[in-house]
Amino acid sequence: MKQMIVKGLMAVSAWAAWPVSIFAQSETPAWLQERMFASGKINTVVLVVSVVLVGIAVWMFALDRRIGKLEKRERK
Amino acid sequence: MKGWWWKGLSVLLLLYVVFMGLHTPLGPALVHTSIDRIAPGPVTVEATGYNTHFAKESPQVWLENDGYRVCATAVTVNSDVAFSAQFQVPSGMQANLTSLWAWSSVDGPIVLRDAFFTEGLGQGMQGEGCAVGTAERTGFSFPNRTILNETIRNLFFHVPMWFTMMVLMTIAFWQSLMVLRTGNLDKDQMALSAVDVSLLFAVLGLATGSIWARATWGDWWTSDPKLNGAAVSVLIYAAYLILRGSVPDPHKRARLAAIYNIFAYVLMMVFLMVLPRLTDSLHPGNGGNPAFSQYDLDSSLRAVFYPAVLGWILLGVWAYTLHLRTARLNSIADEANDR
Amino acid sequence: MHTAEIAQLLRLEWQLDRRQKHVWGSMALYVVSTIYVCYHGVRHLTDVPIWNALFWIILLFAAFNALGRSFQREDAGRQLYLYTLASPRSVVLARTLYNALVMAVLSLLSLAAYALFIGGTPMEEARLDIFVPVVVVGGVGFALVLTLLSALAARAGNGIGLMAILGFPIVLPMLLSLMKASKLALDGLGWNVTGQYVLWLVLIDLITVGLAWLLFPYLWRD
Repeated sequence: MKQMIVKGLMAVSAWAAWPVSIFAQSETPAWLQERMFASGKINTVVLVVSVVLVGIAVWMFALDRRIGKLEKRERK
Repeated sequence: MKGWWWKGLSVLLLLYVVFMGLHTPLGPALVHTSIDRIAPGPVTVEATGYNTHFAKESPQVWLENDGYRVCATAVTVNSDVAFSAQFQVPSGMQANLTSLWAWSSVDGPIVLRDAFFTEGLGQGMQGEGCAVGTAERTGFSFPNRTILNETIRNLFFHVPMWFTMMVLMTIAFWQSLMVLRTGNLDKDQMALSAVDVSLLFAVLGLATGSIWARATWGDWWTSDPKLNGAAVSVLIYAAYLILRGSVPDPHKRARLAAIYNIFAYVLMMVFLMVLPRLTDSLHPGNGGNPAFSQYDLDSSLRAVFYPAVLGWILLGVWAYTLHLRTARLNSIADEANDR
Repeated sequence: MHTAEIAQLLRLEWQLDRRQKHVWGSMALYVVSTIYVCYHGVRHLTDVPIWNALFWIILLFAAFNALGRSFQREDAGRQLYLYTLASPRSVVLARTLYNALVMAVLSLLSLAAYALFIGGTPMEEARLDIFVPVVVVGGVGFALVLTLLSALAARAGNGIGLMAILGFPIVLPMLLSLMKASKLALDGLGWNVTGQYVLWLVLIDLITVGLAWLLFPYLWRD
């Protein structure tokens, strides 16, 4: 159960680290540059809010599975 | 059921934060000029605005150099966000850099600071130059700052993650103290749950910070004391989980984990407080970085930022109680199994 | 707190270590062979930041190696004996002090070996009256932080591996400021610049000793 949370966190961090690993060395490609910096960089805000929501969603799924397992044990 | 109100409060606060944080417009600003150096003589400048209303009311435009104003001789408005202005730049301006200002009763005074490099410097001008409008704009908006622009909204979705993380870590620290005082295993579970949830917020803080850093500082990861502090605290609590994993006996595990938690928390706090003061930081308010500190938090930002901090902290504590309650049920089921 | 008790325990540590000369030998050999391996990798370093960073990395690993053993070497019998003999706080203070002395000597030894093999060019322009104290304060700081963690890892029944995992994040902040302070000293800057870093390191050391003094009795108990 505890591992579940850690696993979930690792999944989030891996997901978050994915763009980092791709773009860390090279310059950000033009399309992404345009997307992120277009109209006063609003897309950066969109991305940040999405990351927060996805992170919380992943955590909710992990909690859901913990409770699911608990229910299974209860039924036994 | 009692204990509901603060959960509702956190949802309401976050709703307010999402609505206000995303819906409030940025204030008008000048963001770009067609030329970046001016010399004495006639000069034509095309300027671009953001969220401005030039078409509604033609702005008054002037240059400002070391407190001396030079008003435009003619202004042609092309659209809401573009105008071109003609100046007769005098020789003998004193400062290297000249700012571009515009004012209208709709937008109030807006400025592109240090927009032009100035040629033909002299002894400086007498007086203050031409008279201009000063009336402020009315209405609720966030300040539009250079480089930050719209990303200033991230203030409500990135910074509170750290506050929440610190609150949860402090809860874990307190429960660890209790473990040492009482040897109660439930306190240990409380510390563990708080650490687990604080790691979620730490990861969210790092991920959102990384994205924001790319858009403003140009890098996904910078060597910044705040960032290093965050990374260190994630490592510390990952080590905490590993320490727990390597001790099978629950009472011994509770005690060892509590000792490590207290030790690490205190040293981390000292580090987080002292190190940013000793080194340069890209973060606002450190190492002479303007961004927020120069103007301090604007009142419109504060009106959303404080509710955001409270809302996220309450949400974090809520997540912590959910985690804790599931874990408690689990240990009850474990005991039932043993019997 | 009993000064006499601590002094007695310190003498005991010293006598035990004198009887086991191989402990000292192995610590010195670890440092020298690490430096020798580095020497074959880089030959002479003249670049100040890299020279500085490599030195601290070597010293950090030497500290982990030397202090990892700190609580490992005693068996349950001796622990019980010490337990009846002295208060746990005296034990941890004596052990911490002893480890700090060991690390002070070891850090100076490492610096000498490092300068011999990797080259002392960066030290020519340095303010040695600042650099050498920084090195000693750093070595002592490692000893103070790692002594409690070594006890913790030993109690968890896990060796140097666990101690490294627990220790790195806690030592990292200290390491960063040490590197900065020693870099400034190597650049020939005076106390007015380096002073605040040294002060802050001493502050960490004091807090660490205080925490160890507070927490160790709980660790000791079974």
